[in-house]
Amino acid sequence: MKTRTQRTRQILALAAATGVLLAAAGCSGGLGSDDGGGADQSGTIKLGMLAPFSGSESAFGEYMQNGAQLAIDEINADGGIDGRKLELQVEDDACDATAAVSAANKLVTEGVVASVGGYCSGATLPTLPIFDEAGIPMVIPAANSNELVKQGLPGVFLINGTGTQQAAAAVAYAEKSGMKSVAVIDDATAYSADLAASFVTQATEAGLSVSFEATVTPGENDYAAVATQLASEKPELVYWTGYYQEGGLIVRQATDAGYAGAFLVGDGSVDAKFAEIAGDGYTDNVLGTFTQTPDMIEGADAWIADYEKLAGAAPGPYSTQSYDAVRVIAQAIEDAGSTEFDEVVAALEGLKDFDTFAGPLTFTKDHTLSGGGFVIVGIDPASGAFILEDDLQD
Amino acid sequence: MQLIWNGLIVGSFYALVALGYSMVYGIIKLLNFAHGDIYMLGAFTGFATLSAFGISSESSIPLLLVIMLLSMVTTGLIGVGIERIAYRPLRRSPRLAVLITAIGVSFTLEYAVRQIFGPNPEAFPVRLESSGFDFAGMRITAAQIVLVIIAGVLMLVLAHVVERTRQGRAMRAIALDPQGAQLMGINVNRVIATVFFIGSALAGAAGVMAGAYYGSIDFLMGFMIGLKAFTAAVIGGIGNLYGAMLGGLLLGMLESFGSAWFGGEWRDVFSFAFLILFLTFKPTGLLGARVVERM
Repeated sequence: MKTRTQRTRQILALAAATGVLLAAAGCSGGLGSDDGGGADQSGTIKLGMLAPFSGSESAFGEYMQNGAQLAIDEINADGGIDGRKLELQVEDDACDATAAVSAANKLVTEGVVASVGGYCSGATLPTLPIFDEAGIPMVIPAANSNELVKQGLPGVFLINGTGTQQAAAAVAYAEKSGMKSVAVIDDATAYSADLAASFVTQATEAGLSVSFEATVTPGENDYAAVATQLASEKPELVYWTGYYQEGGLIVRQATDAGYAGAFLVGDGSVDAKFAEIAGDGYTDNVLGTFTQTPDMIEGADAWIADYEKLAGAAPGPYSTQSYDAVRVIAQAIEDAGSTEFDEVVAALEGLKDFDTFAGPLTFTKDHTLSGGGFVIVGIDPASGAFILEDDLQD
Repeated sequence: MQLIWNGLIVGSFYALVALGYSMVYGIIKLLNFAHGDIYMLGAFTGFATLSAFGISSESSIPLLLVIMLLSMVTTGLIGVGIERIAYRPLRRSPRLAVLITAIGVSFTLEYAVRQIFGPNPEAFPVRLESSGFDFAGMRITAAQIVLVIIAGVLMLVLAHVVERTRQGRAMRAIALDPQGAQLMGINVNRVIATVFFIGSALAGAAGVMAGAYYGSIDFLMGFMIGLKAFTAAVIGGIGNLYGAMLGGLLLGMLESFGSAWFGGEWRDVFSFAFLILFLTFKPTGLLGARVVERM
């Protein structure tokens, strides 16, 4: 018994020591290559992309990588940037903070000059200081938490709309359809609560009456309490800011309880599973706020064909944003005539009405989009997939 | 009235799962923390069977009953298997060891299902008809009535088995005095296996019913209901069958009223606060007898 304990102790000590060594190695790697990427002014230009290629979000990694690669191929075919070819380096962040940090350190040591990745906000946040210290500007295609820009790091640019902009789209839709009373339900997660709070603020400013706000616990199956409340309060529109599993259940249970008004769901709920979970005949009154996907964009047919030739599959969400992220950074590097951090950031800030899928892009002083690019989607009764309903352009 | 009815629906799920908890505790003094995951397995067995035959979106009660029976047999056998592999070898070990094993079993089941079916929630292919009507100030749907009836029938059958059959008498004997029962010629291992079979089958049935009623299942769905069922068992008096039924229904009502008064996000706080109150002031529960500890 005694020897076994001793051995366990030895193993533990060894493991701890290895851990410390690894951590130290990771740090020195990050610091050592501080100016490795930015200073190099010849040869290929490496762009880094962190995206989820494993775990529950793995599908999005593929879409993002293919979208970015498509842009890189086009730019290289046009002769690159001042004769220098672009190259994409992809790393898996698994939508996990720990994995993202080590992947970001790896990209830094590999000498990338800009980052065009970032899908999960939670995994992207801890990588910001790593890229910032290494002097690498970030054009983030998908992650859109307000937290990303709240830190005020100079190199962070978002080309997906933020929660505030998504809430604005929801309010714009409610106003446009002449609805007077709205309600909001969130699931207490950071993303959902943030979106709900933005919605309440903006709806109140727009003169809509917020008839009630509720918070539910995610992962439960029974939302009878909130369903009963909806049936008795009868708001004209309910904005659900959480994810599709609870969203589907709430829509079903509220309808069963006798609520007949409209539902609007946030982008976390925009998934074909939503209709499956809610069930047949429960999704007629359901709309969502969502960033455009390629199949919703007019005149993107040629682009979709190119994408399919490259990837052998149809483009999914965030492929256009990733494509645009590469084009945005390439344009900035070209304008700057350099890959130096300060000059590229200044060039990014100086972009004016740059043509992207989400419309003409000019960064605000927070480094977010001037226009949100959010649209209203509805559910196709036949397939249960979300389709474009209203692009809120007029 | 609506609150009472809502509570009754959730309560019948809790009661079915709590029965298994209570029976296992009553007979071998083990808190089977893997029990909630048996409920999850029931839902996934139903899901797998339905997907294998490619059936979807038909709300037919006979079909649901067949699927339910199938899942009950499967989860029952899995329950027996778990007892044989994980609990029987530890029957003479300190109670803490078995408790920890139960938590290990729970995680094993959850993440095995996650490996097989993936981490995302799945939509259950068969739904209960849920057109509703208003009655005495309540909104009642057909699905809810079916659910309450099935739960009621299962509980009556169980009560009959325990009260009136030889097996039931053997169970009660072991619960009172395992050594004594063995001396009287009762095959203790077999009776314990039967208890695990019945308890797990009931949880499996509840899982299928939840799948058909709510329509969404995921690999962690058993975790919270496991804790709630434990709470229900404690409220009713753990080890007591009628206590488990009463506790389940009562907990359902408490939650229903609690979330109406304090808001949905306070629901779990409210029900677990009740668990603590009961454990502090009346650990034997409402129907539990004060047992003199035999040392």
